Amino acid sequence: MNSVQQKSATRFDLLLYPIPAILFLLVWYAYTLNNPQRQFIFSSPEQVISAFVRVVQSGELFHNACVTVFEAIIGFGLGTTGGAVIGLSLWYSRVVARVAQPYITALATVPIFALAPIIIVWFGIGILSKVALAFISTVTVAIVQSYQGSLSVEPRYLKLMQVAGASRWQTFKLVVVPSSLIWVINAMKLNIGLALLGAFIGEFISAEEGLGYMIVKASGVYDMATVIVGVLTLIVIALVLTALVTRLERHLLRWRVA
Amino acid sequence: MVAGSTDAKPVLSVSGLKFAYDQSSKQESNYAISDLSFAVSQREIICILGASGCGKSTLLNLISGLLKPLSGKIELAAHNGNRRPIGYIFQQDALLPWRTVEGNLMLATEIFKDINKSEAAERINQYLSTFHLNQQILKQYQSQRSGGMRQRASIIQSLMFNPDLLLLDEPFSALDFYTKLRLEGEFYQLIKERNKAAILVTHDIEEAVAMGDRVFVMKTGGIVTREFAIDLGPDRSPESARGTPAFGELYRAIWAELQAVMAL
Repeated sequence: MNSVQQKSATRFDLLLYPIPAILFLLVWYAYTLNNPQRQFIFSSPEQVISAFVRVVQSGELFHNACVTVFEAIIGFGLGTTGGAVIGLSLWYSRVVARVAQPYITALATVPIFALAPIIIVWFGIGILSKVALAFISTVTVAIVQSYQGSLSVEPRYLKLMQVAGASRWQTFKLVVVPSSLIWVINAMKLNIGLALLGAFIGEFISAEEGLGYMIVKASGVYDMATVIVGVLTLIVIALVLTALVTRLERHLLRWRVA
Repeated sequence: MVAGSTDAKPVLSVSGLKFAYDQSSKQESNYAISDLSFAVSQREIICILGASGCGKSTLLNLISGLLKPLSGKIELAAHNGNRRPIGYIFQQDALLPWRTVEGNLMLATEIFKDINKSEAAERINQYLSTFHLNQQILKQYQSQRSGGMRQRASIIQSLMFNPDLLLLDEPFSALDFYTKLRLEGEFYQLIKERNKAAILVTHDIEEAVAMGDRVFVMKTGGIVTREFAIDLGPDRSPESARGTPAFGELYRAIWAELQAVMAL
């Protein structure tokens, strides 16, 4: 009964989803129709479509999108994996965890924008500096989340292992890691946006390719339509990556929905 | 205090056990367990009754090694291998939710490489029939099963470590009445037939009289004020015990003792 209700609700939602977007497009279209001044500032749906066709045909959009996705994904992968390994390992030693805490907090609170100029000086204006920024944006979230996860293990699972006489490593491997997986996946969800942001900021400050570069270059010549195409592409990339993580979550945490 | 039935081998011997959560405190009134001695033999079930916070669970945690005693001895009978011969069953099952039931039951073989996997699988089959469970549950996750099935699987999970002594902290209290009755019967049979021993902490006098060979009434500070020997005939089961005239008498006597202890 419940699942039937849920299914019909989802189908109904699918019909509702496009409505705000359509309304927005209509207002935008009406507001900018036959008004070059407003079109200059806000662009218009038609201009955005023609800009989209242009950058697709020239291959510019595909190339820049690939660069940004590559930087974000490598940074995301390294940051999330590295952060999860560090965060979970902190379970091993309360002393190390206590000592590490202020450093992690410090790193987590520094705005990535403030670090970007330093990173670009260190790693150059190429892809490496963007990967590094995406890494820094994601690693702290992964550390904090996975350490929190390792502390949130149900006490009776730990008791079970302790009474059984399991070693600390066995407890870590068989209980702490799998139990913290929910937290690591949450970190992944948060990190997709942060990795894209890190890569984007790097491109924004200094780059020769990528969506950030494309947007900065277009805005420099008041080409609002291309700017909007770049922003929309970023949104689509974020949505696709989030959907991928959600699929991974469903696979890894299938026991929860079972 | 008195040791268990005569022909059976001792499994556990506790003598002069003292414990305080605040280990710096020398005051006897702060002791969670003050000077406790008793022994448990094979095939024996000891039930401990008492108000919340009187030290029942602390005692189980001490015996299982989760807590270290302040003084006194906890001696466990020699066991094959270096494993602690104890199984601990909690009020809620301790099945790891990300593993299938089978994965949970095979946990022992992953922790101790000397436990043979095919022998373990065979033992799982035996225990499944003892607890009237079918093979299908092995491939399922814990979240797909009812409370009774989960608690049965949790008991089997402990048994896979081949313990001599099972510690149970209100294991049947979250179950509905009929499931509880069945599980009590199955568990009782298991202890008697497989030469195990058990210490069962409960709030339920009826359960304690039906299951126990001895019932301890405990007051704050882990002090056993009185010990009741439950003799309800040689072939009793928890279910048949409930119908005997002695059952009612024991129930009333224990209830009177508990009331006296709680009024203190």
